[in-house]
Amino acid sequence: MAHPEYLSDLASTVYENLENQHDWTLLESHTHKQAQDKTLLPRPLITGLPLAVELVKTHATYTVEETPEIEWVVPMHLNEKLTLKQLAAVFDSVELSEPLAEGRCKRLLMAIVHDDSTVVYYFVHDGIVKPRQN
Amino acid sequence: MTSDTPRPHVRISKAANRYLVFDIDDVMYLRRNHSICSPFVGTMPQAPQQSVFMGLPIELMAEEAQVLVEKNVAYVVDDCSYHPARITAAGPQDRQYIDAVQAITSDAERSLREGAEARKAMFANKGSSKKKGKKNVKTSDTPSSEDVIDGPSVDADAEAAAATSLFDTTTESPVATNKNPPVNREASEPWMATLTTSDSLLAPSPGQNEPLASVDVPPSYPLYAHLQDKGYFMMPGLRFGCDYNVYPGDPLRFHSHFQATGFQWNEDINVLDLVTAGRLGTNVKKSFLIGGKVEDEAMPKGKTEETAKNVRAFSIEWAAM
Repeated sequence: MAHPEYLSDLASTVYENLENQHDWTLLESHTHKQAQDKTLLPRPLITGLPLAVELVKTHATYTVEETPEIEWVVPMHLNEKLTLKQLAAVFDSVELSEPLAEGRCKRLLMAIVHDDSTVVYYFVHDGIVKPRQN
Repeated sequence: MTSDTPRPHVRISKAANRYLVFDIDDVMYLRRNHSICSPFVGTMPQAPQQSVFMGLPIELMAEEAQVLVEKNVAYVVDDCSYHPARITAAGPQDRQYIDAVQAITSDAERSLREGAEARKAMFANKGSSKKKGKKNVKTSDTPSSEDVIDGPSVDADAEAAAATSLFDTTTESPVATNKNPPVNREASEPWMATLTTSDSLLAPSPGQNEPLASVDVPPSYPLYAHLQDKGYFMMPGLRFGCDYNVYPGDPLRFHSHFQATGFQWNEDINVLDLVTAGRLGTNVKKSFLIGGKVEDEAMPKGKTEETAKNVRAFSIEWAAM
């Protein structure tokens, strides 16, 4: 069992974008669950460690700084359609290596690819999470 | 937040698919205890064109009306059928109301008549001296509070009598005929009065002989109910291109945190829409919140709060990279 080819290609595009444009480290691709049953993930996922600099840049006015953590990335194409059900399935397929801190939700980084190889990134939180700037 | 005495249900009037609340106590109660602060939509009779300083009633969103009905704190009355039904079937309560109105109008009418008679007498006695007469009119008018209606006194009397005699032919007027001596018959007929409130006409308890109306909620209702359950304040989302603006507290005190849009569990969402709303949200320091009713077994484990309403929501924010 494997993902359709276009999903694998999408994942490799995003992987290389993270590696070369955003200088992420510890990058890893995931197609199957880590746990014992090794079932196929609903979509291929990527994990990696963002550069600290990149996160600093996002809050120019924010003094409390978060240290980089391993992020889960879900590659998507702009022309795809998404449903709440699919999104929920992706979240449920993510297996965190360590339990979440109190009051924290799972979060994914949605990488959206366009045909000209532009990639934009959006954080998606599993639940109602207050925006960072507010 | 919780009151000791059970509060009477909030009466929501449904007219022309609008949900209106006319009682100011209810309006304050909804804002304080149920995170609902809908806009005032009533115009002032003197300036019906201006649209900045509106008064009662407030207009609820359909979602708000439905949430209140589900919480069992309100009931929705179909005003279109309620009014005609009540007008044809007058009960003892309505008799009281008509008596009360007649008491008010006959008071006003009597004081006007007394003022007119006093003035008439004054002119008859001291009409020869112009100066004196004028002075006397002034002094006699100032102590009475009814000088607003004393201008066209005699003509108005006749006109009012004509108008009320029309009124009297359709409804019985035992009060007017019994109370007054036949000499003053014409002058003492009750006038018409338009009161500012008609509370006393309403049924004392919810739904008593009142035609209840259903609420037509939009498909985004589950997300609304979910957020409302968590204590958020929702306002219409037109300004930020979504279904609801979501405030963490009273909108007078807080900026909104989210732009929320509801989806069906299996409804296709354009990825470009996520990007568009996500970028807009970032510019106005908000998160884009999507959510909907879970329609299968894929429910989050251990999240009792969320499963209570069976809604799942996701917050989307630009990652700035």
